[in-house]
Amino acid sequence: MSEFFDEVMEFIDPLFEPAFIIGSIKAMVIAGALLGVVPLLVWLERRLMGRFQVRLGPNRVGPLGLGQPFADSIKLLFKESIIQSSADKFLYHLAPAVVVFTAIVAFAVIPFGEPVTVLGQEIGLWGANINSGILFIFAISGMGIYGMVLAGLSSNNKYSLMGGLRSSAQMISYELALGLSALSVIVLTGSLNLIDLVESQATVPYIILQPLAFLLFFIAGVAETNRAPFDLPEAEQELVAGFHTEYTGMKFAMFFMGEYINMVTMSAMITLLFLGGWNAYGLPLWPILAFSLKVFFLLCVFIWLRSTFPRLRYDRLMTFGWKVLLPLCILNLLVTSVIKVL
Amino acid sequence: MFEITYDLVVFITGLMAVLASLGVILCSSPIYCALYLIGHMICLALLFLLYHAEFVAAVQIIVYAGAVMILFLFIIALLGGRKEIQEASFERFMALSFAGTLFGELLLAATVGPTKPIQGAVDAQVLAEVGSAKVVGLELFSRHLVPFELASVLLLVAAVGIICLAKFPSAPLKRRTR
Repeated sequence: MSEFFDEVMEFIDPLFEPAFIIGSIKAMVIAGALLGVVPLLVWLERRLMGRFQVRLGPNRVGPLGLGQPFADSIKLLFKESIIQSSADKFLYHLAPAVVVFTAIVAFAVIPFGEPVTVLGQEIGLWGANINSGILFIFAISGMGIYGMVLAGLSSNNKYSLMGGLRSSAQMISYELALGLSALSVIVLTGSLNLIDLVESQATVPYIILQPLAFLLFFIAGVAETNRAPFDLPEAEQELVAGFHTEYTGMKFAMFFMGEYINMVTMSAMITLLFLGGWNAYGLPLWPILAFSLKVFFLLCVFIWLRSTFPRLRYDRLMTFGWKVLLPLCILNLLVTSVIKVL
Repeated sequence: MFEITYDLVVFITGLMAVLASLGVILCSSPIYCALYLIGHMICLALLFLLYHAEFVAAVQIIVYAGAVMILFLFIIALLGGRKEIQEASFERFMALSFAGTLFGELLLAATVGPTKPIQGAVDAQVLAEVGSAKVVGLELFSRHLVPFELASVLLLVAAVGIICLAKFPSAPLKRRTR
């Protein structure tokens, strides 16, 4: 019996190493924080949209209307989950899970502060520090497209299918522009590691050196997160609600969770690549606070854009992506590389 | 202690890759075939990651699982993925016998003995850098520059060609796009 126990312990033993424990705590904190921030973001969006449209927004439930997102979540949790009888059940359930899972995993490599020392252990304020961090984010957010395509395919509904196809075409097109504009920053830094990227901006953020790349990255980022004015996959007038037409209750809400988490990830990416990450540039701010403030500002800009611009037409969106954004990105990359070499 | 767990993880990932690739050929619904193929590619990327080739793993996911397979799903969605009916035929018999022969050869290969690392050509330092972005880039843009550029031109020709084939036989649409 004790031999068996020893063998089991041999397998379990690595689970008690500090690195493993720290890693698990980090994973739980990141996932928990991201899921917790979603209701707050929904509240922020509704309040800000209200202000932009000269009305109040939800302000009745709790102080400042902060109870509204919780009331909404409870409502969504208790709603009946209706599944079309002709839908592919497995894929139908898988799709929202893929969306939320990839959204959370992509955040794992985002660093939001300098390493701190707790209980004698140096802990980096990131989930994982891998050398190809930025590629990892692109790879994982690319996998998020599958959630939408699968939702469109499995619902057995023409609107859903159109929405799914649109989202995949749009995200593949704009992923190119996103990657190429990030590449000009990578050329300047000479590293794919996000922490190196932030440390190379200790004096000057890249938004000053690379204003065009910032603009292109921002536009492509808005399109990549399917936010207005690029929210064609869920255009209400044409497609009812796009790929999530058939979804109800919490599964419907999971698509929104994915969208909002992607928004946070994209804001964090823009902060890391162009706004200098946690560098405060002389202001008396903690690194993590400086990072959070920048991300918060960008999130407000996302919401501001939604309430300002009307939705693009689909063919214009693709034309813009391929004939304007992509050539500009390549040109910018070319010029940056030439300057770097010279 | 760490070795056992590491080997176990590698083994499970490899097993999942094999099972997923079996799913690709054994599944009758095209959508699930494509999904199994995606799963297989993710398992391969995980294996690269386990062997510390982060760059190759990321590229594997971005290019194959991210871009190529989306197009597969796209086509399945547009053509309507219908389940195919399995029936016994001569081709099926041939395919099975070929698979059996290959499996037999695989078993013969297993009798050779355990795989050994190559001696001499790669030392520990080279091995540590294999698969990093820098090494891949240096190889690609110095020794393999001409084939690389030729391949990119070939792909461009193929892309332009497929657009010509698909678009121009029918009367071109008149659109007011800028």
